[in-house]
Amino acid sequence: MMKTFNAWLKTIIFYEILIGMKATLGHLLRYKPITLQYPHEKRTLPDSYRGMLALLRYDDGTEKCVGCDLCEAACPSRVIKVISAEVPGEPTKRYSKEYYMDMTRCLFCGLCVDACPVDALGMTREYEWAVYDKRQLRLNKQQLLAIGDRSFPVREKRLELQHPNVAFFNVAFRQMPPKEG
Amino acid sequence: MVETVKLTIDGHHITVPKGTLVIEAARQVGVMVPHFCYHPKLKPDANCRMCLVEIEKMPKLQTACSTPAAEGMVVRTATTVVNEAHKSVLEFILANHPLDCPVCDQGGRCDLQDFSHEYTPTTSRFIEVKRVFPKEYFSPLIETQMNRCVQCLRCVRYCDEVMDVKALAPSGRGTMTEIKHFTHHELDCEFCGGCVQICPVGAITSRLSMYEFRPWMLKRADTVCTYCGDGCQITIQTKENQLIEVMSAQGAGRNNGDLCARGFFGYHVSTHPDRLQHPLIRRNGELVQATWEDALEWVAETAIRLKLAHGPNAFGGLIGARCTNEDLYLFQKFMRLVVGTNNIDSSARYGQINGVRALRRVQGTSRWTVTFDDIVSAEALLLVGTNVTETNPITGLKVKEAVKKRQATLLTIEALEPAVGTISNIANLAAHHFSVQPDGFKPAVLGLIKAVVEENLVSQPLAQKAPGYVQAVSEAVRRLSWQAIERATGSSSQSFIDATRSFTRTARAVILVGQGVLRAPDGSGLTATLLDLLLLTGHHGLPGCGVAPLAEENNDQGAVEMGAALEYLPGPSDANDQAARARLAQAWKEELPKGPGKSLMEMIEGARTGSLKAMFIVGENPAGSLPPSAGTMEALQSLDLLVCQELFLTETARLAHVVLPACSYAEKDGTFTNTEGHVQSVRHAIELIGESRPDWEILSALSVLMGYPLEYGDAKEIFKEIRSLIPGYGLLGPAPTPPRPDQAVVESYLKTGYSSGLAERYTLGERRAASGERKDFSLTLLVTQTLFHSGKFSTRAKGLLQVQAEGAFSLNPADGTRLGLAEGDRVRVSNDLGEMTTTVKLQDRVPVGLALFPEHFDQEARRLLRVSTDPATQVPYYKSASVKVEKAK
Repeated sequence: MMKTFNAWLKTIIFYEILIGMKATLGHLLRYKPITLQYPHEKRTLPDSYRGMLALLRYDDGTEKCVGCDLCEAACPSRVIKVISAEVPGEPTKRYSKEYYMDMTRCLFCGLCVDACPVDALGMTREYEWAVYDKRQLRLNKQQLLAIGDRSFPVREKRLELQHPNVAFFNVAFRQMPPKEG
Repeated sequence: MVETVKLTIDGHHITVPKGTLVIEAARQVGVMVPHFCYHPKLKPDANCRMCLVEIEKMPKLQTACSTPAAEGMVVRTATTVVNEAHKSVLEFILANHPLDCPVCDQGGRCDLQDFSHEYTPTTSRFIEVKRVFPKEYFSPLIETQMNRCVQCLRCVRYCDEVMDVKALAPSGRGTMTEIKHFTHHELDCEFCGGCVQICPVGAITSRLSMYEFRPWMLKRADTVCTYCGDGCQITIQTKENQLIEVMSAQGAGRNNGDLCARGFFGYHVSTHPDRLQHPLIRRNGELVQATWEDALEWVAETAIRLKLAHGPNAFGGLIGARCTNEDLYLFQKFMRLVVGTNNIDSSARYGQINGVRALRRVQGTSRWTVTFDDIVSAEALLLVGTNVTETNPITGLKVKEAVKKRQATLLTIEALEPAVGTISNIANLAAHHFSVQPDGFKPAVLGLIKAVVEENLVSQPLAQKAPGYVQAVSEAVRRLSWQAIERATGSSSQSFIDATRSFTRTARAVILVGQGVLRAPDGSGLTATLLDLLLLTGHHGLPGCGVAPLAEENNDQGAVEMGAALEYLPGPSDANDQAARARLAQAWKEELPKGPGKSLMEMIEGARTGSLKAMFIVGENPAGSLPPSAGTMEALQSLDLLVCQELFLTETARLAHVVLPACSYAEKDGTFTNTEGHVQSVRHAIELIGESRPDWEILSALSVLMGYPLEYGDAKEIFKEIRSLIPGYGLLGPAPTPPRPDQAVVESYLKTGYSSGLAERYTLGERRAASGERKDFSLTLLVTQTLFHSGKFSTRAKGLLQVQAEGAFSLNPADGTRLGLAEGDRVRVSNDLGEMTTTVKLQDRVPVGLALFPEHFDQEARRLLRVSTDPATQVPYYKSASVKVEKAK
């Protein structure tokens, strides 16, 4: 008897719906919005955030990149293209003559940053890269360096002889004749 | 039967020939023993200690690279003890090796990198400062980074054992050992690139492609080198359609991975900025860019008009022997069927024809009856006028291997003196050397034959089989006096007798004939005389014996076999061989043109006199090769139609009415036939440059427009047709089987064939210049090939230009002293035809009385030369002249 009454009561007061909407109704009373009013409001990014890629420089303004193509090899989606050469006027020293990133394809996995032996690549906290023309996302070396310049104001100190234990690393020999192009 | 031993390696049972090294036996069962200093081409050195293995019943670890396999041996390569040994060896190497893999060109294909990944922990216990060598400039093409060196000495041993150049040496002791060249100035060697290829790490790399690539980016194409007749297999490595470097894998091709400077550093010729990229057509006296349609239609129209007006024999065709067999075959078919003339010639006319003629005459083959392997296993080698280390460096390596590793007796008759030099000199290895002037080859050969006859060394079976022949030759050489031969060669009669004795003693003898003979007056006759020598000594017809004329251009042999010559149809068979004509007519469904045809010099003469109205020239530059005294320029200018298919705007192409851009060997598919008659595939490494097309495609398109279509889908289709018509083109296998001498032809030669021209062949001839001491200012100028270039073609390769960028007048220091000239002096060289000013280079290897000038830079030197044409084979000779030398003011 009692059982039948309870069932009837639950039916007429829409008990299941109330249970189901418990959280909703609770928030109806204690209103606290979680939507961010982007672009007026912005989220706090975690420390390990993987944003736009950038090329970095040493404290004296020289590029860190030695043009070793390891980022190109590590990239799973063929974003990077490096054209390496000898630094003009600095025989036997290697650098990237041209450096391209096709950001339309980038997964922001960060494997290129891990692969870089000289820490020349960095992931910035920039993510606002929506553009009307996809071609603007094909970045060249100057653009990537500019991103690095604005995102990493503190630069690493450059050492000519990086450490006696690694012996010479990418050093120019001025007495050598330059490579003929 | 080879003695074998059974051994066990890591549980695998294997039977190997006795004397096999454990490392090689392990390789056969698929066990890779890590090593740095071991290389199959080199003698074991066991200095790197990387290949240590455990062998049962031996108290200590053994080096697998120097331990021969023994019966019942049980080898273990992956035990804890062995791994510990690997670890400690690598720890010592890595104690000093810089961590510059990211900028090292070897990174990615480095043995040390691979072994470190496999055998070492990621950290090192060494905290000491690494060894640093002061960097010294090495050479324009080869870069050293001694900090990376692991001191395996492979480069030093390769340079000595294989190349016989000895340009490198280790200096210093222990970890401070450094690879150096002997002198204080930059490296001056053969630049074969062997040290670059053999270095297991990045200590020696190519400066030419430095920093342009990483190994994993490279796309490979196995093809054949385009320079000399050796036909080395090369692997062209490209990155995004750019030529990056050339390698040759150990064991690959006829060269077994060895290359010369031309092959290793000469590849940039294909992408030279001067390459023709569009058809050019002459309008108002100027060559202007045109479309393919315009150019081809104009050519077809003009050619049809001229053919109607003057007949097919007013046309001439000339093709360069750097073209593929497919190009050559289609060219002769085009000339014979579409145009309808036998006026066909190729650059094989400059010399190769001489050798082929002699071989066909005496033994009925048009190829060598020996292979490179027979040269290596020969017991006696006779080199006549080859300068083999410069003209055919890889054949030279085979000769070096025969002499150095197998103790063959080497006899050389060369315009060379044995001398210590920066590049190897075959005369240094000779047991019997005859240094002669360019016209002394014949007297020296006759001296050898005279010694054979007079010392009763004539083969008895031959004397019984062909008494008439032996009698006639004996009488002919007996008529020559030893005094005259000694005067002509500068060598004593005893030296000829000694040389002949050591030659006849052996069971396997090979005679190599070089450009000094083939590109000289009566080259064909002298080659036949050398075959006489082989017949008389009884070597002829034995396995591994034969006369081998060396080809200068990579497809000289192919040009003859494809029938790109007036006297040969594809096969090659004689142009008036009725059976061959019938067979070809059936295959081509068209009658072949009759009439004798004109050779290169006759075509030029015809153009001058006006009987020749039009010429098709494919990849050949007669205006740039023949001296101006031949009047080629004027002759070609008077033509009504000159069509050139060229890579570059050469001297000849500048005179043309239409220039059609052809593609180089790096862009086309096809086959080349090397000097030993080995047919090898050419594969494209890069895409066609600009609008250039393969030569066969251009000819095919022209044939359609001229109303006689010779249409093919690709080069393979042409090759199929070649295969059905020409013997020896069936299989493109790794080991060619040389043809045997045709006994019927040999017998007819021994019966009657020898007698024609015997008197001329067995005379010493007029001395054009006396060798030895001269009092006046005259010298014999000889225009020759050098190691670093091949024809004019390679003078567009930037790598080779860094080694040799210009010609120098090389003469013996004794002549230098006599004429008051020092190294680097400017000299004025003149004769009645003209003069030139050039730089002096003093070289011990040049015989006294002779001066050498490289033909690759002979634009000026050509003015001093006169052409003489061989009446029998129509071969033009223009290599030497008598000149007066004086110091320039």
